[in-house]
Amino acid sequence: MAAGAAALAVAVAGCGTSSSGSDSGSGDGKTLTVWLMDGSAPAALTDALHKEFQDAHPGVTVKYEVQKWGGIQEKLTTALTSNTPPDVIELGNTQTAKFAAEETLEDLSGDVSALGGDQWLAGLKDSLTWDGKSYGMPFYASNRTVIYRTDLFEAAGITAAPTTRDEWVAAIEKLKAANAADPDFQALYLPGQSWYALLSFIWDEGGDVAKQDGSAWTGALDTPQAKAGLDFYKKLVDVSGTKAPKDTDEATPQQMEVFGTGKVGMMIGLPWELAGAVKANPDLASKTAAFPIPSKTAGKTAPVFLGGSNLAIPAGSQNTDLAKDYLKLLSSKKYQDMLAEGGSVPGTSTDTAKLATNPVGKALAESAPNGKVTPTTPTWAAVEAGQNPLKDMLTAYLTGAKSLDQATGDANAALTKTLAG
Amino acid sequence: MTAVDTTDAAVPTRGSSQAPRRAAPGGARRRRGSALDRALPYLLLAPAVIAILWMIGFPVLSVLATSFRKLNLRELTRGQVVWTGLDNYTQVLSDPEFWAISARTVVFTVLVVGSSVLAGLLLALLMRQISPVVRIVLQVSMLLAWAMPLLAATTVYQWIFDQQYGILNKTLVRLGFDGFAGFSWFSTGASTLAVIGLLIVWQAVPFLAFSLYAGAIGIPRDQYEAAGMDGASPWQTFRAVTWPELRPLLMMVTFLSLLWDFKVFAQIWAIRKGGPDGGSTTLAVYQYLEGISQSHFGVAAAVSVLMVLLLALLTFQYLRRLVRSQEGAL
Repeated sequence: MAAGAAALAVAVAGCGTSSSGSDSGSGDGKTLTVWLMDGSAPAALTDALHKEFQDAHPGVTVKYEVQKWGGIQEKLTTALTSNTPPDVIELGNTQTAKFAAEETLEDLSGDVSALGGDQWLAGLKDSLTWDGKSYGMPFYASNRTVIYRTDLFEAAGITAAPTTRDEWVAAIEKLKAANAADPDFQALYLPGQSWYALLSFIWDEGGDVAKQDGSAWTGALDTPQAKAGLDFYKKLVDVSGTKAPKDTDEATPQQMEVFGTGKVGMMIGLPWELAGAVKANPDLASKTAAFPIPSKTAGKTAPVFLGGSNLAIPAGSQNTDLAKDYLKLLSSKKYQDMLAEGGSVPGTSTDTAKLATNPVGKALAESAPNGKVTPTTPTWAAVEAGQNPLKDMLTAYLTGAKSLDQATGDANAALTKTLAG
Repeated sequence: MTAVDTTDAAVPTRGSSQAPRRAAPGGARRRRGSALDRALPYLLLAPAVIAILWMIGFPVLSVLATSFRKLNLRELTRGQVVWTGLDNYTQVLSDPEFWAISARTVVFTVLVVGSSVLAGLLLALLMRQISPVVRIVLQVSMLLAWAMPLLAATTVYQWIFDQQYGILNKTLVRLGFDGFAGFSWFSTGASTLAVIGLLIVWQAVPFLAFSLYAGAIGIPRDQYEAAGMDGASPWQTFRAVTWPELRPLLMMVTFLSLLWDFKVFAQIWAIRKGGPDGGSTTLAVYQYLEGISQSHFGVAAAVSVLMVLLLALLTFQYLRRLVRSQEGAL
């Protein structure tokens, strides 16, 4: 019976309604639970931030927990359902709309100016706005750049980093010719399902993955622009002769590990991926730099997918005011500069001077203002957490299993269906 | 079930000793005592029975109830209860994809169960014939395969079948089949499911072989001697002696395999998430996509209920025999 009673208690607790707490800022023995993601904030930042916060709020303890990205959506769903959810959570920018639309997050519209709203990074601001209300605060962003080997570029006689698509393709061909003796060499490592890179090419053509009509979203992958973007992806794969698998993304195998072998001229990657490659092969540190993904139009850079995070307060938080104070402190310039120093584009400060001090950060800062996000709709999260039609489309077209029209048509139908919920 | 059976059986054996008590006239106290006596076993069992029913029955009822509710992230976090009647079922049953996935799941399950039971049976019969040393080597390797964690085995299979670096493609090219250089085993749903099916058979065979071997060594030797004296061929011996003896056991392991293979999820998800293009999506994956990816928990519950019904339909013959044989035994 005891077991049954315990099960009942758990079941009842699980179904309990969440009451929105509104305790005042001062409180003895209060605990502010903060969930940040693995690799988000440098330890130096969180240490300083929590010390300052606890000094300003005597009696309050910050319980800081680092979460892993894998399976976070399920974990957040469970946590937000409980009576005592965490007080501050970090949400991937593509997931935010799902949680905002279901009203599981605190509406922060009234606090936007206090949180440095006039300097919010546009791409992230879009991702946390739902129905005209702000459900979070931008945290940081990062985007893909073309990471390349300066020594190999020099040896191949490429004097300047490419700034247009044509120059990029020419650089790939030169690198390939200069290293033709090495059968393992790849001028560009590009796996078949690197769909964030594909987004750049589609946006650069003036297209998009989906279009909004009222509150409904439909796929736009069958437009001429999207097809042209996909075609350019194929061109890169064909010209570079990359040996990367056509049916996996950049995480299988980790492209930074492949780059770390030293047999790769370029990869489209994130700063942390270069850091991982350098860790595996320290020689690369002085031989690498980055340039923004080139556009087909001279004098511009291609729009990039702005990957990043927002910070939000769960609607069921018992310490809403404390959590707001915490966000306010984090949005101050001191901590935003520390984020930039750590290699990310800060979410609530337009000052990226600290970021531009290294070559990769410079490319990052150059392309970030041109950053875009995936459709801001609650159903987008299911596209990434389930079977991603963009990945299937890439593999089908690159392997020749489907024609361009068929691949884009099928993927568009699947995407529209998922976006409809 | 077992608990109730035991009490039923206990009543008749006590009947004789109770008879004189019942005959005793007018003993009000005694009669109450006997009523208590009769109720006592049930009362003693009650806590355990209620606890078991609660722990097993509650999740079942909860799934059933959820399948009639609209339960998305919003309702879940706010604790709202929204009854929608049969809406979830209408939505699932009117989705042509559901029927395609159901058909695929049934075909996949039947093929995987058929091949694994057949392979298990052949290995079990082989084990009876070979020398003890070879048998022990075989048994140890099967035990190791069986003990291998699910996802570790899945990862190994992914490496074997990898397009660029897989040992299988390399071996095939060495053997002269040049067409397999860079061949993608995961380019269509059917070939992806074939690889997954092979993995599941590989994982299932040890249990089946051991169970059937245990049954096979239980068949009396003299029956084989008698068959040999009558001049039966090996096939006739199998038909006349081994098959009838092993049949009940085969039925049971087939039934168990059906249950396991019908709802297999981890291997399919780990290999290609039910892709490409949803081509290796089975009902278990469909349920995950609805429930966990899209947070439509009510719809996912409806899919589970439909899965149970479909499974009951698949195993109908066996369930019928099971019920009938128990009636016979009582």
